[in-house]
Amino acid sequence: MSHKSEASGSYTLSRRAKWFSSWNNYLFVLPALLFMVVFIGFPLIYNLIMSFQNVNVYNLTGKHDFLGFANYIKTLQDPVFYVSLKNSVIFTVLSLVFQFTIGFALALFFNTKFPGRNLFRSLMLLAWMLPVVISGTVFQWMMSGDFGVINYFLQTLGIIDHPVNWLSESSTALLGTVVANIWIGVPFNMIILLSGLQGLPDHLYEAAKLDGANRLVQFRHITLPLMRPTILVLLILGIINTFKVFDLIFIMTAGGPVTSSTVLPIYAYQMSFTTLEFSQGASVSMIMFLILILISIVYLRMSSKEEVH
Amino acid sequence: MTKTKWRAAGGTLIGILIMIVFLFPVYWMIKTSVTPVTELYHNPPHILPVAATFDSYIDNFIRNQDMIGYIGNSFIIALGTMILSLFISVPAAYALARLSIKGKALIMISILSIQMLPGIMMAMPLYIMFSKVRLIDNFAGLIFADLIHALPFAIITLRPFFLALPGGLEEAAKIDGCNKFTSFTKIILPLVKPGLMTVAAFCFLFGWGDFIFALTLTSDNAVRPLTLGLYRFIGQYGTEWNNLMAVATLAALPIIVIFVAMQKYIVGGVTAGAMKD
Repeated sequence: MSHKSEASGSYTLSRRAKWFSSWNNYLFVLPALLFMVVFIGFPLIYNLIMSFQNVNVYNLTGKHDFLGFANYIKTLQDPVFYVSLKNSVIFTVLSLVFQFTIGFALALFFNTKFPGRNLFRSLMLLAWMLPVVISGTVFQWMMSGDFGVINYFLQTLGIIDHPVNWLSESSTALLGTVVANIWIGVPFNMIILLSGLQGLPDHLYEAAKLDGANRLVQFRHITLPLMRPTILVLLILGIINTFKVFDLIFIMTAGGPVTSSTVLPIYAYQMSFTTLEFSQGASVSMIMFLILILISIVYLRMSSKEEVH
Repeated sequence: MTKTKWRAAGGTLIGILIMIVFLFPVYWMIKTSVTPVTELYHNPPHILPVAATFDSYIDNFIRNQDMIGYIGNSFIIALGTMILSLFISVPAAYALARLSIKGKALIMISILSIQMLPGIMMAMPLYIMFSKVRLIDNFAGLIFADLIHALPFAIITLRPFFLALPGGLEEAAKIDGCNKFTSFTKIILPLVKPGLMTVAAFCFLFGWGDFIFALTLTSDNAVRPLTLGLYRFIGQYGTEWNNLMAVATLAALPIIVIFVAMQKYIVGGVTAGAMKD
């Protein structure tokens, strides 16, 4: 009996290995790989090649010269590039700091038990799911100078004494887009942090309570260290996703007035689709890509370190 | 006992206050859309509605039919993105979770890295490629472009659902006379239905909400989606905010409907897509 079952066991094992490793497994991934090669790999390589050539709207169908790094040098000598880089950094840092802090505070709040908690949590996600074009348009209306409701609130609270044209003044335009982006990003941060908090073991908190640790001490010595991996992933994902925001700023200010809210994706768009200097635009997006790769490498390093710990 | 009850009531109260502040923009959008023009530029603005009218909806969706065309296009693009993403991502996620494939790690890393690509970086080479093969001003072109974002998300979100299924399912199916493909469609797929729902909802959303590819890969209103319609509307009608908000509200409506209907799948999907792997 035992001998027989062993034999049939090894029989199924080899059949099993065959089943799981035969060539037709690749049929399952083939469509996805094909799509990725044609619609992602190929455009990326094309973009890279173009960034070394002189493609523009006039010679699109003709022959192109190889220019070496000329486009890159031109981009790096353009003052607007540095303005965009600076704006991108400001936009990303300000958005993330507030999205994360507000998101964390809300996550801690929603981690307590009270009626309606799940409903509120879902309602917040709705804001995040709205197409950015819609949220951007709504914020544009709320921030408008003459009849905007935000001016009304701020005046009622006595924070400003006359209406501000938030999006059409160069000193506040970028700030206006940041505020809208914080609103969009808070729910996502909240949900991710909340799911992290819900995974923390209760018994640690109970033990800490017995030792007389107050909530602040518990937060610093239990919550924060245990949440570290979640926080790291969230922040890196946040940096990458915020750095490439295009729609919102394009809708609200289109990068203006002048260049006051131009971030790198807007700059790349203008190069490629307004000035129609495709190669120049390609070099801008390659530089943007390099920055994102650097951030991702930091992320991979951190997450592999986290795994070791 | 009473103390915890009071605390819970306090929590609900604070929750309601947070909701009022946080959802104010959504309220303001809907409220503005039904505000009569004469009320629109009232200073100070009325926070609560004093009069309601559906004029802006009638003007923009019944008298003027342009928006109806945009809405139809949005549905074609969103449904196309959803269906094609499912067709491609579901088998791929299954194989990456449960079958042995060489270079699995490499494929997963590529899929994860694709998510980091800025849309504008893809838009420009796609514009030139698509002009050569007549995919500009073409629904298929827009759907392919939207898949760049939707497909990696779908695979990353679905894979954990397949991983969570017990081992040995395929063997049992085989004993019952299934081959690899029928065991996948008949046995495995029904078990990951929640995952399929999540992914379907999000892929629809990506197609519905896309702006950057609609902006760069179309010039003909016959294929343009509602997001671009709304954007062009801002340019044309500048400050007629009641009209703009009516269009915005209607553009948000399918999202709200999907959201209400599929709430539980969506909340799970957000965390799964972002954090797993």
